[in-house]
Amino acid sequence: MAMNPMEQFEVRPIVPLHIGPYDLSFTNQSLFMCLVVAVVTLFLTLAMSRRRLVPSRTQSMAEISYEFVANMIHSTMGEDGLVFFPFVFAIFMFVLLSNFLGLLPGAFTVTSQIAVTFALASVVILTMVITGFIKHGVRFLTLFVPKAPWYLLLLLVPIEIISFLTRPVSLSVRLFANMLAGHTLLAVFAGFVILLGAAGGVLSVISIAPMLLIVAIFALEMLVAFLQAYVFAILTCIYLNEALHLHDQH
Amino acid sequence: MPPPEPDDLRRLGERIDEASQRGAQRAKAAPPTSLGIAFRFATEMASALLVGAGLGWGADWAFEHWAHIQTRPWGMVVLFVLGAAAGIRNVMAAAKELNAEMAKKDVEK
Repeated sequence: MAMNPMEQFEVRPIVPLHIGPYDLSFTNQSLFMCLVVAVVTLFLTLAMSRRRLVPSRTQSMAEISYEFVANMIHSTMGEDGLVFFPFVFAIFMFVLLSNFLGLLPGAFTVTSQIAVTFALASVVILTMVITGFIKHGVRFLTLFVPKAPWYLLLLLVPIEIISFLTRPVSLSVRLFANMLAGHTLLAVFAGFVILLGAAGGVLSVISIAPMLLIVAIFALEMLVAFLQAYVFAILTCIYLNEALHLHDQH
Repeated sequence: MPPPEPDDLRRLGERIDEASQRGAQRAKAAPPTSLGIAFRFATEMASALLVGAGLGWGADWAFEHWAHIQTRPWGMVVLFVLGAAAGIRNVMAAAKELNAEMAKKDVEK
């Protein structure tokens, strides 16, 4: 019986494919990533296919997600940040849908894999660095130089550089750890229900308690799923803003 | 049904603006949960320590491998400490950010 709470995170190949030393198999992970992209695309295109001035429910859902991200960019980066709208919107919708699809029973949570979240975070940081160098040239490196006397800079510049290098790590670990912890917790409590239920007698009656707890944790997980997508997107905006408007704050 | 008057449309626009403003205020009012804040600080600190130690280990390895200079364990010691400093700096920046956010919310109230 499947009682291992970590079993749900196992990446299994569906279509094995080995090219040279590389394992390029199509896995359950790849399947769910394709599924997420397909669902996002279908949802947005179907919702906007019959456009009306007074939107239907699905259309207003699509419009709300658009406005949500547009407002987020506007408040963090200002008007000229809107060139990054497609980028931030794509990331936000991908993370959001991965988190929510992962909550369906039997589904695989794409964002519970550090490989996926770290790849996303790396793309964000690389975009930031490239934007910064294109917009400001070498002056972008002054990002690492805080206002301080020169003898302190000897210590502060390495600290700033390390602090910058932690960004992709903390960005990816936050999302991955939240999803991993939540789903493990759900699986552990589900295991309690099965064990207690199978024990018979009074214990079977008690098994209702972890069941109720699962309902509560599931509600919390819905919140976390949205919140983590939001945090990921807003941090993307904040980082891109730093590259866009080097030192002046918005 | 008579064609809509420009006045009607304008009034509808005003009502939509009003309603969406109310929605925006409600969305902003949701405070970050304590668990969320704790998690944020923990990941900032932990990832800085990890990156510092990793960089130090890498530097020691690079010196030994390419320059044949035995620096182990000093690169890791120094960079781990710098990483810890960077972690504290990250947490302070995050706390400052949260404080500013909360202060803004208090003003709005």
